[in-house]
Amino acid sequence: MTSYFSRRDFMKTAGIGTVGLALGGPAFINKVFAQPSGRRTLRILQWSHFVPRYDRWFDPFVKKWGEEHNINVIINHISLSDLRSTFASEVVAGRGHDIVEFIDPPSDFEPSVLDLTDLNQEARRRFGAQVPFATRSSYNPDTKKYYGFCHGWTIDPGDYRKSLWQKVGKPDGPRTWEDLLVYAARIKRELGVQNGIGLSQELDTNMAGRALLWSFGTGTQDGRENVILDNRKTVEAVKFMANLYDQTLTPEVFGWTPASNNQLLIAGRASYILNSISAYRSAQKDVPEIAKDIYFSPALKGPDGIGWACEHVIYVSVIPKFAAANADIAKQFLLDLSANYDRAMWESELYASPAFFNTPLLSGDRGYPRVSGAKKLRDLYSHWFANDPYALPGEARGKLLPLRDAETWSTNVGHPGPANPAEGEIFGTFIIPNMFARVAQRQQRAEESVKQASAECRKIFDKWRAKGLIGQRG
Amino acid sequence: MRNGHLFQRDSLTAFALLLPVCLYLAAFIGFPFVMSFIYSISNATIGDPHYSITGLNNFRDMFHDAAFRTSLANTFIFTFVSIALVIVLGHILAELLIRDFPGKWIVRFLLMLPWTAPIALGTIGFLWFMDSVYSPFDWLLRKAGLLGSPGDLLGPMSNLYWLARPGLAMASVILVHVWRLLPLATVILIAGLNAIPREIVEAAQIDGAGYFRRLFHITLPLIFPVIGVTVLFSVFFTFTDMTVVWILTRGGPPPHATQVLASLAFLKSIQGGDLAQGAAISLFFFPVLAGIAAIVLRLVKKAVVI
Repeated sequence: MTSYFSRRDFMKTAGIGTVGLALGGPAFINKVFAQPSGRRTLRILQWSHFVPRYDRWFDPFVKKWGEEHNINVIINHISLSDLRSTFASEVVAGRGHDIVEFIDPPSDFEPSVLDLTDLNQEARRRFGAQVPFATRSSYNPDTKKYYGFCHGWTIDPGDYRKSLWQKVGKPDGPRTWEDLLVYAARIKRELGVQNGIGLSQELDTNMAGRALLWSFGTGTQDGRENVILDNRKTVEAVKFMANLYDQTLTPEVFGWTPASNNQLLIAGRASYILNSISAYRSAQKDVPEIAKDIYFSPALKGPDGIGWACEHVIYVSVIPKFAAANADIAKQFLLDLSANYDRAMWESELYASPAFFNTPLLSGDRGYPRVSGAKKLRDLYSHWFANDPYALPGEARGKLLPLRDAETWSTNVGHPGPANPAEGEIFGTFIIPNMFARVAQRQQRAEESVKQASAECRKIFDKWRAKGLIGQRG
Repeated sequence: MRNGHLFQRDSLTAFALLLPVCLYLAAFIGFPFVMSFIYSISNATIGDPHYSITGLNNFRDMFHDAAFRTSLANTFIFTFVSIALVIVLGHILAELLIRDFPGKWIVRFLLMLPWTAPIALGTIGFLWFMDSVYSPFDWLLRKAGLLGSPGDLLGPMSNLYWLARPGLAMASVILVHVWRLLPLATVILIAGLNAIPREIVEAAQIDGAGYFRRLFHITLPLIFPVIGVTVLFSVFFTFTDMTVVWILTRGGPPPHATQVLASLAFLKSIQGGDLAQGAAISLFFFPVLAGIAAIVLRLVKKAVVI
């Protein structure tokens, strides 16, 4: 018997299928996303950590936490670059994850997330004071709302090659921006190895540019969220960067990605970079002889002896308004994560630093060698930074010592004010790197470039003021 | 048998056949387009689903923004240089590939590869080729004695820094985009060349017409409609594409040497959070592309009529 599928059959099948999908689709989707009966589900969205070992610890930790609390936990790791767009889609859709962890302050999402004042107060009660710039990265002083909960951050020190700096008579590396200019220029001239500060549209350049501005006593805003960029000190900082480019850098820095300075250091072609210790950790695994030569310096000081570094990463978790039904378990999880921050530090190979240094250490087997006398995270932190547990055999163990007080010279985007949405947009659209680069490339005079950047910043501030997320000029 | 009767009506069948397309267009083109327009006249941000209508401020700001003007110029450079190269190179390749030679199938296969590979993967490959430290292109140039020592043709620096120098960065972005578009253009042009009646070409050859006379007086006029379609496809692909630019340069070197409108819209709306400004920039595509489509289709129609 011959059978064939006629046009009419196709039309019928397709028509029935389309109608069926239209009617049944939403029901099916609802079923997939519905809470399983009897057991609640907590959904967490965060980046794939730069240190893969952290995720290998974090995921089982969360699962175990879920089992202990009779909660299903789903963790989704996505690329850092997809985090904002993914959460924006969830906000519009009105459904998605219960906790979203950002690595920069998500202050522009304030209208769509829950006020976490109670969580932050409870964390202070349990763990003591929070690092001030962690608060400035999760609290809006104008609306008096905690839009996030900051549990940790990452140091952004100077990483320098000791053998090179020794040869030019500065074995302990630079301590001021002037040192960097003078000695890195000599290293480039005499030893043929360049400096590694970026001048591109990427994250590390953004941080380096801000560190330079703050160390020169200027910045994009003051403590009361007024734009102050257009001033003599900014012009000096911009001229300094152009000079630094001329004497210590090469044109490649205009095309860098966030990984470029790491690559340059590991390739043995950079005398100094501004980056987290992950660059050093990568070198320990890939090129041990380079790693053994890498040492660290704190924030470089400017002409007035002030030195600031931008936090490299700041972990801020938010709970969206659409996840209000699960807010209680989400808050409980975040408190428990903070209580376990010794493991977060250890498993991230000291990449993550705590926002609450006075957190009491939990008893029992913690998965790392006990440190005698350590009662709080601060004790552990001080011990590990004086005796790096991840140092290679034969490598100096006290290399991280200069970073032990990093919270005193690290600060947030928007320093000395809060990390408001205007600062976020200025950061995200690379206004500061462009300001420096235009002058280094001889496209503009320093004064003109600063004026242009300042005008762009003012426009952005005015827009966010109109949205009510930044206070009126003070 | 009432159902069968219904499906026998031509008007109903036509309606049923068109319905999925109409639904698709309404859902995935019409709705986003209307939303883009609404966002562009609002103060929408990505962090807040609520917004109010603010009029044409975003368009005013857009035209006053130096980054927009630079990106607009870059978009035209990126689009038209890419397309000119694609058409010229595509035509040369098509002329070669309509001839018989040993291993023709493998050449055609290799030619199609860039089109079959995901563009993001291909571009990441080029990102490595053009790396500021490890570029194999630079290694070859150094080995050839063209780069890396005083007096070398391309300079004494160890690397060319493909993605860090404004002119070279734009050339790199165009190069990768041409690599991506060339297979499609070539295949379309092969189809066009194969459609030319052999007797016309042979008659011209008998009359003593050389290659260039045949090219300009027979081949190009006859495949002009095909070239028109290729240009149209390529313009649409290029004008609205940000993959190559974003992966290779993210719009840099600073300030915006390779920034195009699509990447600027992404930068402003997603990176910067200003959804309204991003929507205003992306809406700028509509009249420009509609104008280009109208001109090209009119020229094609004219050529067909002639």
